[in-house]
Amino acid sequence: MLLSLLTQWLRAPFTHYRLFHNFVRQDFTGQFAGSLGGKLWLFVTPLVNILIYSFVFSVVFRAPMPEAYEGTPFVVFMMMGYLPWFAFADAVGRASTLLLERAPLITKVMFPVQILPAVGTLVPYMVHGIGLGLFLLYLAVQGYLSALWLWLPVVFVLQFLFTMGLVAILSALCVFLRDVQQIVTLVLTTWFFLTPIVYPVSLIPEDWQPLLILNPMHSFVQMYRELILLDSFATSSFLVIVPVSLLTYLVGGWLFMRIRHAFGDVL
Amino acid sequence: MYSIAVENLHKDYRIYQRPQDRLIELLTRRPRHNLFHVLQDISFTVMQGRSLGIIGDNGAGKSTLMKLLVGTLQPTSGSISIKGQVAALLELGAGFHPEFSGRRNIYLNAALLGVPDANIAEMEREIIEFSELGDFIDRPVKTYSSGMYVRLAFSIATMVRPDVLVIDEALSVGDIAFQKKCVERMNEFRRQNKTMIFCSHSMYHVQELCDTAIWLEKGRIREIGESHHVVGNYEAFCNSRAVEHHEPLDINAVEDRKIKDCRVIYTMIRNLDGEEVDSIEPLSDVYMETKIEILQDNLMCNFGFAIMRNLSEIMSAYLTTDLDDVPKGPFMKGEILTVRSRLNAVSMRVGEFHVLGGVADASGLLWYETKLSNLIKIKSTKGVGSVVMRVDWDVQRG
Repeated sequence: MLLSLLTQWLRAPFTHYRLFHNFVRQDFTGQFAGSLGGKLWLFVTPLVNILIYSFVFSVVFRAPMPEAYEGTPFVVFMMMGYLPWFAFADAVGRASTLLLERAPLITKVMFPVQILPAVGTLVPYMVHGIGLGLFLLYLAVQGYLSALWLWLPVVFVLQFLFTMGLVAILSALCVFLRDVQQIVTLVLTTWFFLTPIVYPVSLIPEDWQPLLILNPMHSFVQMYRELILLDSFATSSFLVIVPVSLLTYLVGGWLFMRIRHAFGDVL
Repeated sequence: MYSIAVENLHKDYRIYQRPQDRLIELLTRRPRHNLFHVLQDISFTVMQGRSLGIIGDNGAGKSTLMKLLVGTLQPTSGSISIKGQVAALLELGAGFHPEFSGRRNIYLNAALLGVPDANIAEMEREIIEFSELGDFIDRPVKTYSSGMYVRLAFSIATMVRPDVLVIDEALSVGDIAFQKKCVERMNEFRRQNKTMIFCSHSMYHVQELCDTAIWLEKGRIREIGESHHVVGNYEAFCNSRAVEHHEPLDINAVEDRKIKDCRVIYTMIRNLDGEEVDSIEPLSDVYMETKIEILQDNLMCNFGFAIMRNLSEIMSAYLTTDLDDVPKGPFMKGEILTVRSRLNAVSMRVGEFHVLGGVADASGLLWYETKLSNLIKIKSTKGVGSVVMRVDWDVQRG
């Protein structure tokens, strides 16, 4: 029972590839349908964001850089945390409306609902992946490229699975409890500032620093920064994100599969 | 060979006091709800190539049954087995994305129905042709009229050639020409030995398209059988109920009326001897009579009778508005009027009817009050047809 639910969950985007593909395409291009700029916004939005944050955090508030990152501009340091976070936050933020928006479809058309969390996660990751890709390209040109970059896809996929698990849980809960929508918005803002993204870890009092292990997003950010900027492999972070990601993904899938039949009754 | 077999189907909706109770129950499996039985004891089979109509009042459980058949709802108990691919038109264009063109939506919608893209490309032209959208196919769906929307949705759902087609009220939208096309398409379906389930308030379409019909009442099957038969009984039931519902209302309304100028005491049918009757013979002469009490001085009135098969269907009506030789007042408070109109040679041959007697103001536009008679039956006689007229025969040689 548990096993068959999980295999259905794991396989969903592959067995229903055509539908998955169509949904992703619909969602992705749907964001720009009817807009003048079209796909141009995909590049403009992250670029403007990067510029704003650079201005605020390298001109207005100047945070002291940790010693290890000596020589790295603060903007680069911050962006390495901010871009992956943005993809995560966007996907989780939209999770609450993922199923609600498609209520007519879910109640009137028989299709594998379990592909929706994958769609809802993939689309923001594609959108923000563009910003991240551009940024990595810039860093590569700047001479940061190293063999350790080969780990990047692994970390990225793990972060994706972690996000997808949360999206599955939140989207399913939101069908029953609309309050989730408000809670998610609040939690995401809090989470953002509790993660050392726009400030270095060293600014947190030392006694509190061990608590960061409870924040998987911190481990992800740490992982990216060390891989790319320091050319080192953050083993302690890696040991956190692997189990946390896989567990979140599986628990999310189990929960979603378990209550998906009730969606029709409630929506 | 059956195509759809439904056995002992039950569907309960769980009513929760608080929304979070549902979630807690799902996770802990401890009941926290009240049950509402939407469908009970539903069993039927549909043979391959046959079509089934589902009729019934609003809230009888038709939509729930359709959703169960399609699979978007899970039955509480009982089983449904369907052979072959199902395409459903429960809500027209449920999968449409308003910002995309009709052409893009063909692909999305067909993917939802489980058709590979390669096959859709083949069907695309046919779908566009059938939907009569022309150049509109490349415009965003949000710019479509509701008729165009339906045409596209119907074209896609039927073009994917499912084995079982489930349609809910599809024909109620769209113009007559397209409705006709839809009916033809659905008939073609039947000729191809496909199975169809059709839910509609249009009794005509159910009779035309379905072999058998199910009449749902309060979540149970009230009648199942040949569609003409079931539809006939359902219509008769609706008609009788319309009258039943009205009668007590009418009597009670006396005290609540805002206009207290006069009131109708009764409406009835009398034979020529003056006796009240509740059944008459075809071609006989009778009086329609209504008694009115005047409650206001100097009142000018008009009178009227209507012969009603049900509340909304007037078979024949007679008013004094345009007549000058009928006394219309002024009447004084406390006067009782007996208004009588003679019906010569009642030409109904079968059926039942009510007579509605009423009193209106001088203009004939404002009806003070109307009241129905008891149900009047036409005595059965030999013959066919619903109308009978007085005829004279003449047969001559040469």
